[in-house]
Amino acid sequence: MYNKEELFLAISTVIDPEVGFNLVEMGLIYDASCDAEGNAYVKMTLSTKACPMHQLIQQWVKESVEKMANIKEVIIDLVWEPAWNASMADEHVKKVLSGS
Amino acid sequence: MLDTKVLGLAHLFLLGFIMMTIFGAMAQLVPVILEVGHFGIELFYAIWPLLGIGTLLMVLGFLNFPQLLPYGGVVVLIAMMIFVMEFFLTIKKVKKYNLVMNSVLISNTFLFFGVIFGLVMSLSYAGSIDVDINVLLRSHVFLVIGGYIIITLMGLSVVLLPMFGLSHGFSMKPLKIAMIIMSIAVILVIVSTFTHIKIIEYIAYILASSSLFVYFYLIQTIYKTRARKEIDIYAKNLIFAYVSMIVSLLLGLSYLLISYEPLLLAAAWLMFFGFFSFSITGHIYKIVPFLVWFERFSPLVGKQKVPMLSDMLPKKSSSAQFLFASIGIVVITFAILFQNEVLIKAGASFLVVGALAFLRSMLYMINFKPEDI
Repeated sequence: MYNKEELFLAISTVIDPEVGFNLVEMGLIYDASCDAEGNAYVKMTLSTKACPMHQLIQQWVKESVEKMANIKEVIIDLVWEPAWNASMADEHVKKVLSGS
Repeated sequence: MLDTKVLGLAHLFLLGFIMMTIFGAMAQLVPVILEVGHFGIELFYAIWPLLGIGTLLMVLGFLNFPQLLPYGGVVVLIAMMIFVMEFFLTIKKVKKYNLVMNSVLISNTFLFFGVIFGLVMSLSYAGSIDVDINVLLRSHVFLVIGGYIIITLMGLSVVLLPMFGLSHGFSMKPLKIAMIIMSIAVILVIVSTFTHIKIIEYIAYILASSSLFVYFYLIQTIYKTRARKEIDIYAKNLIFAYVSMIVSLLLGLSYLLISYEPLLLAAAWLMFFGFFSFSITGHIYKIVPFLVWFERFSPLVGKQKVPMLSDMLPKKSSSAQFLFASIGIVVITFAILFQNEVLIKAGASFLVVGALAFLRSMLYMINFKPEDI
C-alpha cells in the first residue's frame, strides 16, 4: 500500500526534542514496510537505551504512520542491533552536531 | 575539629543541595538504570520533606542549638533509610545485573553505613552518648562522599554523559576499575579508623585519588567519542567540574607530601563546590527542561507547536550563573590557599550572584509556558 519512502516521509514528522532533528534524518529508522491490507511495520532504534522517552517516541512514530490513509495496524520493532551511532545520521545533521 | 559553622554549611550544601538533587534525580533515573519500575515511587513524597526538615534541624544544631542535632540526624536517617530501602526493594526486581546497576547497589550500601556513622556522631555531639567524633568523622565522610556521592556520580556519568553527548564506542572497563578501587579505599578508611594504623589510611587516600584519575580517563574517552561537539551551558559546567576535580586531587596529594592544611581545605572546597556542584548544576540544565517538557508539552505533540528542550534554557541567567559561580570558586580556592579573609568575602560575593542567577534559571525552566515559545 505504501512504500518505504512514503512511510519514512510520514515518520519524519516526529522530532526528537533533545537534539531538534527528526528521527529519519537522525538515522534512527532502519526500515519500514506496509502490506496491501494496511498493516505497517517499522524497524527503529533510539540513540541510547537509557532514553527516558522510549515509550513516547515509539508512540509518536506509531501515530505518525496511523495518520496515513487506510492504515489498519502499525507494529513497531525497537532494536538495539546494529547500535546507532552518529555516522548513521544525514550529512547536515552530522554537520550541525559537530558544530562545523 | 572543624568550626561548627563550617559543618553547618557543609551539611546544608551536601544534604540540602547535593543529596536532595541526587535523590530527586534517582526518582527519575532508577527505572532507566535498573530497567524496572520503582518499588514505591510514592515514598519519595515522604523522603524530600523529611530530608529538608532533618537538614534544617541539623544546620540549626551546628550553628547554635546542639540539642537539635540528634533530632535532625534521626529525621535525616529516616529519610535516607526510606530512600535506601526503596532502592533495595526496587533492585530486587532486577534479573540480570550490569555494571551501572552494581554501581548504584554499592553506593547505596555505603550510604546505609555512612548514615549510621553520622547518627552516632550527632548523638555524641548532643551529649547523648560518648564516642570520639574525630575517629568516626573520617569514616562518615568517606562512606558518604567517596562511597555514595562519588560512586553514584561515576555510575550515572556513563548513562547521562553519552546520552546527552551522543557518545558511542567507549570502553566501560575504566568505570569498573575506578569503582573497585574507590570501594577498597572507603573500606580501608574505615579499617584505619578502628585500627589507628596510619599506613592503611594513606594507602586509602592514594587509592581514592587513583580511582578518580581512572574515572577522569573514562570521562575523557566519553568526551572524545561524543557526536555533539557543541559547548553549551551543560558542557561548560561539566568541563569546569572535572577540571576542579583534577585540581582538587592534585592539592590533596600535595597535602600528603607537605602537610600544609590549607591545601587540604582547598582540595575539599574544590571537590564539593567545584566538582559536585558544577556536575549537578550542569545536569539540572538538561534534566529540569526535560521533566517540564515531558509533563507540560509531550501531550501537545502533533496538536500544536512545542518547544525544543534547548528553547527552555534561559541563556542569560545560565551564562551569568556559570560565570559568577566559577569565578567565585576560583577566588575562594586562592583565598583558602593564601588564608586571605578579604578574598574569601570577594569570592563569596561572586557565589551569591551565581546562586541567584541559578535560582532565576530554575524558576524560568520550571515556569516555562507554551506562550514563551
